[in-house]
Amino acid sequence: MLLELNQITAALYLVAGLVSGLSIALPSARAGRVAVGLLVAAAVAHGVAFSLLHTVTPTPPLTELPLAVSFMAWIGTLFFLVLLRPAHLGRLVVAVAPLAFLAVFVAALRLPDTGPASYSGSGSWPHAHVLLASSGISLLGVAALAGLLFLTEHRRLKAKRPLSPRLDLPSLEALDRVNAVALAVGFPLLTLGVITGSIWVRSVSGHLWNASAHETWSLIAWAVYAVLVVVRFGSKQGSRRAAASAVAGFAFLLFAVIGVELLV
Amino acid sequence: MKILLIGMNHRSAPVELRERLAVDDPAPALRKLVAGDEIDEAVLLSTCNRVEVVALTRSVVAARHRLRSFFRRDLAGDRPLLTDIEKHVYEFGGAEAVRHVLRVASALDSMVVGEPQILGQTKEAYRAASECGACGPILGRLFQNAFTTAKRVRSETRIAERPVSVARVAVDLAHQIFDHFADKRALLIGAGEMIETALEALRGAGLASVAVANRTPERAGELAARFEATAHGLDELPALLAGVDVVLSCIGGDRPILTRECVARALSERPHQPLFLIDLGVPRNAEPEVGQVENAYLYDIDDLGSVAHENAEERRREAARGEAIVVEQQHRFDGWFAALRAVPTIRHLRSRAEEIRSREVQRNLGRLGSDPETAEAVERLTRAIVNKILHEPVSRLRREAEREEGMAYLEVARMLFGLDEPDDGDDRHESSESATDAEEDLAAGDLRHDPTDPE
Repeated sequence: MLLELNQITAALYLVAGLVSGLSIALPSARAGRVAVGLLVAAAVAHGVAFSLLHTVTPTPPLTELPLAVSFMAWIGTLFFLVLLRPAHLGRLVVAVAPLAFLAVFVAALRLPDTGPASYSGSGSWPHAHVLLASSGISLLGVAALAGLLFLTEHRRLKAKRPLSPRLDLPSLEALDRVNAVALAVGFPLLTLGVITGSIWVRSVSGHLWNASAHETWSLIAWAVYAVLVVVRFGSKQGSRRAAASAVAGFAFLLFAVIGVELLV
Repeated sequence: MKILLIGMNHRSAPVELRERLAVDDPAPALRKLVAGDEIDEAVLLSTCNRVEVVALTRSVVAARHRLRSFFRRDLAGDRPLLTDIEKHVYEFGGAEAVRHVLRVASALDSMVVGEPQILGQTKEAYRAASECGACGPILGRLFQNAFTTAKRVRSETRIAERPVSVARVAVDLAHQIFDHFADKRALLIGAGEMIETALEALRGAGLASVAVANRTPERAGELAARFEATAHGLDELPALLAGVDVVLSCIGGDRPILTRECVARALSERPHQPLFLIDLGVPRNAEPEVGQVENAYLYDIDDLGSVAHENAEERRREAARGEAIVVEQQHRFDGWFAALRAVPTIRHLRSRAEEIRSREVQRNLGRLGSDPETAEAVERLTRAIVNKILHEPVSRLRREAEREEGMAYLEVARMLFGLDEPDDGDDRHESSESATDAEEDLAAGDLRHDPTDPE
């Protein structure tokens, strides 16, 4: 059942991305609305799949990369949907839905092995750590996506190249706002993720700090983001630099959390 | 019957001539035009770029003569024509005239291809002609087809997607920088016509408040009063720049008044609020280096012009797709118009059959001496038989009449059923009421009505 639900979720994300692409190619406002509807349906199915996962296994192995990435994709999609109307992000379904599809597809491939997590004896801290850190990472991912789009649009406008009206991308102002909101919400979640992670390590080893590669690089990534947040909200950093920082920060975060995990 | 179009537009005639023929209220001229024998139906389209009359006539030669004198005398009125209009007038007949009407309504013949105003102007011309009784069912059908064509061209091509005026391009660019204009403030530097046009476009997009700065405070005050803005002198520029989102500049002077330093200083206090500068001045009012300031997006008249030019090129490419739609819609109308040839034959055939049925029923009922109920039943029965017998030949006649070779079917039908019609090769010449009859027949289903044509 869980596998089927994940497959349905992946299919909905994929179809949402395809319909969104079609809405740009035609162009068709109606197809654009259908794509958003499909993305909403995919997010609902994705949420049901996670609820079901918790029913099957009270402590699912969310620390395993595929499931963690799938969870990040879900949180990122929800955040995107919340901002979709106020920030005029409808056209970006074409980018968000395929990313979510990939995340769910990979997770669905791993599901047959799903069983209780190896840390099931450590209370609820591991779970809280994964949920909070994943949520933070996914929101910082949304900030990076908005930043990347901002930089592309900024360059185009400075170079005075006209935009095809069918693309109807969000304005620079809207992208900067998405960047700011995602950073403002994502960084506290990441911070809580780091804190709950330390508590989990302490419950297992008796120390807050074990100096593992994951802990070290995660802490460095958190410190980098702390600087970015201070510069963004506490100084006169311009929108372009803020966008570039969001992209660079997220690239470093991905390396620190996922890249190091894969390398070590 | 033939459709004839005579007119002049921005390509064939200078504005000095067009303005002398332009009419605000076409009704009196149209009433006069259709009062004679030469023209049965007419629609007059008068815009700043064209004056055209579409007419339905039974005699092309007489109609042509009448329409040319209509241009010279009725439209010009007391205004002397400084040139011979014959050199500037074009004429289309039949399918060419139909195609021209469809192209005009679809803005494919406009000075700015894809512009939206012409459709409204064509609708207005049709409405005026219908209200004064000059437009009948055939031209009515033609114009409804033209509106459908225009709608299809707009929705099925990208002909109207990109703006082509400098002012609209500026608004389009502003939309790419700002999410909405309701809380935005604009600064106008100068008070000329260019500024006014651009301001109107920005106001149309919902811009909230405006400040006008000019060398002559009185002129700034005049413009400010018209647009509910505040008036300022040029010495207030540095302070004003810090609080605005859009700057529109078109003012004379040898040296740029918007320098990199003053813009950078204004933006230093607002790192996340972009500034869109539209420099329409020649010589330029802003230093080119202003565009390098972070968060400042500077577009001069050439930048906007090149975007507008590129957009116009795109429209021209899309126009080719629009032409294909026009041809498709023209074939639909041509088929419908050709099918009108069958109307007199079909009507005659029906009346002949009804005459025979009625005569035979009366004769036999009189002989049988039936009661009223039986008589009514016999009436119904015989009508049903006649309708069923005629259904197939009538359907085939109206189908075949849409094709050029369909005339042979009409001739055979007339010969087989002994219909004494004039064999002049064009049954649409029948009478002035044929159009109305045709419309009635259409309503009765005698002619196939194109169900895909919503209007």
